[in-house]
Amino acid sequence: MIELNNITKKFTLHNQGRTNISVFKNLNLKINPGEIVALTGPSGVGKSSILKMIYGNYVFQSGEIKINNYKIDYKYPRNIIELRKNTIGYVSQFLRVIPRVPTIEIVMEPLLEINFDQEEVRERAEKILLDLNIDKNLWNLSPLTFSGGEQQRVNVARGLIRNYPCLLLDEPTASLDNVNKDIVLNLINEKKDKGSSIIGIFHDESSRKYLNAREIDITKISHAN
Amino acid sequence: MEPILSVQNLNKYYGDQVGCKNMNMTLYPGEVVGVVGESGSGKTTFINSISGNLNPDRGKILINKDNEIINFLEISESLKRLLIRTELAFVHQNPRDGLRLDVSAGGNISERLMSIGQRNYGNIRQTIFKWLDKVEIDKSRVDDFPRTFSGGMLQRLQIAKNLVTSPKIIFMDEPTGGLDVSVQAKILDLLRKLVRELHLSVVIVSHDLAVIRLLADKIIVMKNGEAVESGLCDQVLDDPQHSYTQLLVSSVLQV
Repeated sequence: MIELNNITKKFTLHNQGRTNISVFKNLNLKINPGEIVALTGPSGVGKSSILKMIYGNYVFQSGEIKINNYKIDYKYPRNIIELRKNTIGYVSQFLRVIPRVPTIEIVMEPLLEINFDQEEVRERAEKILLDLNIDKNLWNLSPLTFSGGEQQRVNVARGLIRNYPCLLLDEPTASLDNVNKDIVLNLINEKKDKGSSIIGIFHDESSRKYLNAREIDITKISHAN
Repeated sequence: MEPILSVQNLNKYYGDQVGCKNMNMTLYPGEVVGVVGESGSGKTTFINSISGNLNPDRGKILINKDNEIINFLEISESLKRLLIRTELAFVHQNPRDGLRLDVSAGGNISERLMSIGQRNYGNIRQTIFKWLDKVEIDKSRVDDFPRTFSGGMLQRLQIAKNLVTSPKIIFMDEPTGGLDVSVQAKILDLLRKLVRELHLSVVIVSHDLAVIRLLADKIIVMKNGEAVESGLCDQVLDDPQHSYTQLLVSSVLQV
């Protein structure tokens, strides 16, 4: 369960004339287990910012965010590190990895971090890469030279190899063709059926419908400025 | 979980000059803390002061060794030396500062082992090979002198030399600083793997925010000898609150 209560978020740009940019005021949002919430609204309205606040990347000025009843507080980074390890998965829009590390190892890493058996992890990584149509010949190469769609699928594989209770998805299908898009959407649906609380940004309506997502237009629930 | 290293209100002066002041840090087992800032900001003074290379003027350094809290600045010199050889390790920016160039690669790795009393030649040799393998240096190079190694190999050898006694806390000062980018990537990958497999706790100094982003869980941003901002690495780099951090983050060239 993910809860946002009365969130206020602004950016203060100290080196650009101390400009204040207000993003959210009194933002309230709740995502239940086994539910997918899709954020909508024009670009720049703060869709990604909501995901980043939940993941602990963005500071908010007031209000509270609770993940399975656990409060996110940027002043206690240790707690956020633990939450990320055990509770929250995040598929970002772009892949950020160490150059020269093979794809298969990048996908295995989230499970190795929690001390899974190396061989079992490899099998699970191979399975999800196969599911996502990543050619076997590519598994031992770094994804940094892959096409945009392939990189995105590697990112999805890394984010979905585990069953996180909470899942944050930032345009996970943006650069995919229709076949691969459906594969990714089906994987997301599987996570929902396993009881994950899922919140995401999906640019096309058909994806949102396919996921049977509850759509939330941010401009209607937060009153910034 | 208890922190393995806790630094409280640490100060180091060079005469009237501030080296670093009012520094605080908590490091948990398996955690990587990055220290960033421009040159002259006190990063190296800080890491040297908490690793036994420099004597700080004020403050506390508490090390958790098997659930016993050791007050690092108040223990005897001999106990300190023993800790530095067994529990702590320091990886220098320039591997030549951390290696003996007139001793073979294997000899460099065995030095710390022998300093903690290992004498069995067969066992030592076996450990050396295990570590050469871990840092991806060919076994056939074991008797070669480091001066015949490339920069990247030297850095990997220095890492092996330091980690061979299974220290719990590793200090690194710009470990990829002098390396070209392709070698840097290899070292970063190696460090990440070692941190995960051996559950190491690391304090790493770097001026390269991309390196810190890839390695560190937490970050301390220093300016003029003081920490201006600290916290979760992603958060401080994605949503910096202090004007200096905002300047630092916005000054990175996009590739």
